[in-house]
Amino acid sequence: MPAITEIPDTLFESTITRAVQEVFSTMLSEPATYQPQSSASMEDALSIEHPQVVGTVGFIGALNGLLYLYLDVAFAEKCAGSLLGVSREEMAELGDEAVNDAIGELTNMTVGTFKNQLSDRGFPCRLTIPSILRGSHFRIEPISSATRRIYRFDIAGTILTADLLMQPGD
Amino acid sequence: MRYKILSVDDSKTVRIIIKKAFKNYDCDILEASNGVEGLALANKEPPDVILLDVTMPVMDGVEMLTKLKAEPALKAIPVIMLTAEGGKDNVLKIAKIGVRDYIVKPFKEDILVQKVGRVIDLKPITDAPAKGKSIFDPAKILVVEDKPAIVAQIQEGLKHTPWQVHGVTTTGEAIDYCGANNVDLILITLSLPEDAAFTLFRILRTSLKTKYTPIFGLAVKTDSVAQQQAQQLGFTGIATKPLDIPDLEAKISRAMNLDTSERYFRTEKDLFIMRLPEICGPSTVHEVTTYLKNKVSEAVDSGINRAVFDLHEVKRLDMALIKLLLGAMQTCRDVALSYTLVGNPAVVAECRGYEDTRTWQFHETMEEARQSFIKVAAPSSAAPVAS
Repeated sequence: MPAITEIPDTLFESTITRAVQEVFSTMLSEPATYQPQSSASMEDALSIEHPQVVGTVGFIGALNGLLYLYLDVAFAEKCAGSLLGVSREEMAELGDEAVNDAIGELTNMTVGTFKNQLSDRGFPCRLTIPSILRGSHFRIEPISSATRRIYRFDIAGTILTADLLMQPGD
Repeated sequence: MRYKILSVDDSKTVRIIIKKAFKNYDCDILEASNGVEGLALANKEPPDVILLDVTMPVMDGVEMLTKLKAEPALKAIPVIMLTAEGGKDNVLKIAKIGVRDYIVKPFKEDILVQKVGRVIDLKPITDAPAKGKSIFDPAKILVVEDKPAIVAQIQEGLKHTPWQVHGVTTTGEAIDYCGANNVDLILITLSLPEDAAFTLFRILRTSLKTKYTPIFGLAVKTDSVAQQQAQQLGFTGIATKPLDIPDLEAKISRAMNLDTSERYFRTEKDLFIMRLPEICGPSTVHEVTTYLKNKVSEAVDSGINRAVFDLHEVKRLDMALIKLLLGAMQTCRDVALSYTLVGNPAVVAECRGYEDTRTWQFHETMEEARQSFIKVAAPSSAAPVAS
């Protein structure tokens, strides 16, 4: 099994792209277009100023890591409404808990699809349970031993940011 | 009876999606948010299929699946994994424990329905009232009875129906027959040795094919212990020996949800006709009463404004029958449906003996009845038409 540093970036890029595209097209019928950007502008993209809903799911095994999916609140509510088959007004009535659960599940599916591809390539991992961050004016910082890869996707004119943090596993 | 699908997933979103996927199908969705809840619910209300996630708090899906397979009452319930945990090794590991299918998230609702549809016979809910079987449709009835004379009696008594009555003498033969055929109803004699009837009932209820098939117990009238045991176990009903075949036929019709209205109601050109049979026992009266209002409404909706109550075959008039007729007449009056009666000398004579029926007048034939409606514009005829 190659070390994490020997796995080409393009593999992570193609795997995460495929995962995001598969989840959003299957569950929400929305195509997701990968937006390659410079790493500096990507880091800037994670300086959160506006209210966000961030779903996170971990994976442990041959690779250990976390994937954060950043959605602005309006987009998160729209995705949740679409997933649950309810209108915007009904979504407002259901409240934050319903949005959190929906985004948690979208993140779960995305990370699942991502890590399943890695498992089939010889990096078996299992998932942790999802969690949600809400807020604005925050920044998630990895520990120094973790690698960070940031990917942006355009979904119906809104940007979804995927922040992938990894460490070598077992 | 509706199929039950148990959805076990910690994500309320997924449980809502599943509920949404099956909303147009005739089934109930039960929900649990982890393996502990899932097992408790499966024990309390055994489902027909379980949709099971893997990654859950408290008890994950693998542990729940393992425990399901270890419990005799639950191990036969088909399980479909519905989880983000894919990967070839994972799938193989879980499949070894024993699953019917494996769906990796994300998933399309129609794929989910398709896969569940391979396990249970999903039927869509339609807006129109379900078109059930009628008494003129064929049906397969299995009789498990070690006394050939009883089987012969049932076959002879029901030969006028389109039902195929097949007799077997042992539980083994019964299980084989049910496996090879789609049986609509089962009659089991409760006097089979060593409580075999009850064992057979339990076996039939664990098979998807016969889980909801009506099962009647045949018992001697005085054997109240066996009858009580059967009722407690969940038999659909009891038919007592010596058998009352018309009563048995009515019970079977009710249990199979057959539309028996055509036995009693028809429309002929511009007439709505309610025909009562020779013997009008309690079950007949009950059947006719069940259909009466709807059938009258249907007739009126189709433009008919004349009804005939045809009693020419009736042998005996009793209070139950009189009440039925009074009810029918009132129903007709409520919708301004003119009605008249056709009878026979015995019925006419009996009517003279009751306060409520003394003034009823009857025609001898249907044609006379029809003609009387035409004459109604003229001053009253021998058999006045009521409206």
